[in-house]
Amino acid sequence: MAEHHTQKKTPAQKTFDLLSALLTDNPVYKSIFRTGYPSTLLKRMAVMRSSFYMHLFPTKVGEHGLKLRYSWCMGGITFFLFLLLSLTGILLMFYYVPEEHRAFHDMKDLRFMVPFGVVLRNMHRWAAHGMVLAVMLHMMRVFYTGSYKAPRQFNWVVGVLLLLFTLLLSFTGYLLPWDQLGFWAVTVGTNMASATPLLGYEGPFHELLGVQIDNDIRFAIIGGTRIGPNALVRAYVWHCVGIPLVATLLMVFHFWRIRKDGFSGPL
Amino acid sequence: MEQELRPDKSGYMLMNKPGYPRVSSWPHLIWLIFLMMLFITIVLWAVSFLAYAPLEEMAEWAKTPNPAKAPWYFIGLQELLVYFDPWIAGVMLPNQILIGLILIPYVDITPSEQGHYRWSNRRFAVAYFTFGIAFWATLIFVGQLLRGPSWQIYWPIIDYDISGHTWTREGVPLKQGGLKLASMSTGTGMALIIGFFTIGMILPFMVTKLFPKSNVVKALDKYLKELGYIKYFVVQSHVLMMGATVMKIILRLGFNIKYIIETPWFKI
Repeated sequence: MAEHHTQKKTPAQKTFDLLSALLTDNPVYKSIFRTGYPSTLLKRMAVMRSSFYMHLFPTKVGEHGLKLRYSWCMGGITFFLFLLLSLTGILLMFYYVPEEHRAFHDMKDLRFMVPFGVVLRNMHRWAAHGMVLAVMLHMMRVFYTGSYKAPRQFNWVVGVLLLLFTLLLSFTGYLLPWDQLGFWAVTVGTNMASATPLLGYEGPFHELLGVQIDNDIRFAIIGGTRIGPNALVRAYVWHCVGIPLVATLLMVFHFWRIRKDGFSGPL
Repeated sequence: MEQELRPDKSGYMLMNKPGYPRVSSWPHLIWLIFLMMLFITIVLWAVSFLAYAPLEEMAEWAKTPNPAKAPWYFIGLQELLVYFDPWIAGVMLPNQILIGLILIPYVDITPSEQGHYRWSNRRFAVAYFTFGIAFWATLIFVGQLLRGPSWQIYWPIIDYDISGHTWTREGVPLKQGGLKLASMSTGTGMALIIGFFTIGMILPFMVTKLFPKSNVVKALDKYLKELGYIKYFVVQSHVLMMGATVMKIILRLGFNIKYIIETPWFKI
């Protein structure tokens, strides 16, 4: 935009230039952003390299990969929803205690007492469903464009793990409101684990290891023989600390590998 | 445009070569990301102001809802419980799906076909993946919208209001599942499973021997030779496992077969 100025400037443009120069051409701005305002190609390259956040991205991108109908932005949307979920999740943690007799009433308080609490919870809920959907669509996009092929094979593997962790994040969050919906959904889901061959008390060959209802894999997951206070605390800790930590590490790796291997389009 | 972007003979990535059309990330990419974040935030806000997150009564161990459904992304597995015991539907199949997804890049033999939606050189891969996704989506659709009390089929709008909680109209009793299910004899079941996987494994090779002149078969023959035996085994065993899952559903729905193999330790 600002590279070639052959035409005469209107007064409005002149005022804009003056104001933006006042804002960006001073020691304070430069101390924060290192380079001046990226008005020339050289500065635009510099800003991508010298800014902490921008250096996630390449200095130049192929026109092909920029097209919306190529990537649908699905990977970016997934990550952005993860950030929104972290933000709303932290705020929700101020008002929520994972205790059997309190959790459900904290939900009611969020709805009726906390200012904008209902919007906060709604945002967290719908963003979670959106993230599951977006990560699935992202996987489909990567498959249909063949972007998992060399040299990106291992990044696809990490992506599949991230899909799994997204599902687990959503699943552990499902129990936290401690209402009938989440309670029974998680009961149904975790009951599946008891059917694991060898390790579940209802699975084939469980007798061989002496596995019973109070020492099988389901017992380890939910901390009891049925969903109770222990399961609630475990779901909470996995949901708010454990899985986000692992998922973040995998995401950092996922993004780093995209930069190293290059964007997919086109070969 | 698409023609120009095809890979050269060395398979070298064209985007790393000089002359490939590229633009500076600032502002083109950053602008796109900013607009996308703005768009998602606005949509999420709008939805959150209009639609409440569901919250039912307080959890109670003594009050089991009928049906108790898993979250929508796991309901495909719950739907499979109609056709399989939990150790298959809830443990083996999801694990195999994950393993299969992870293996995709390592058994794909068309490395140059990337960076565009062009499927002419990877028809089988695209067809197989699409079938899997459609299968998964169908299971979710049936489990989420068509299953009511006792996991019987209930039609949305006809039997229940989509937004409501009651499953029948006034005076209409809940549906009963009085279906009589039979199991195959152990011999028949074993023969069926071993036969299915053995024939499935050698069928593509038999086809190439029987109809060597057809163009489709020539393409298949070329594909099999490029694939090699190890990759072929990995791919075909996953194809057959998905096929067997579909076959079991057909046997259960069409012929009321509950188990193909019954042993004291496990049932399939």
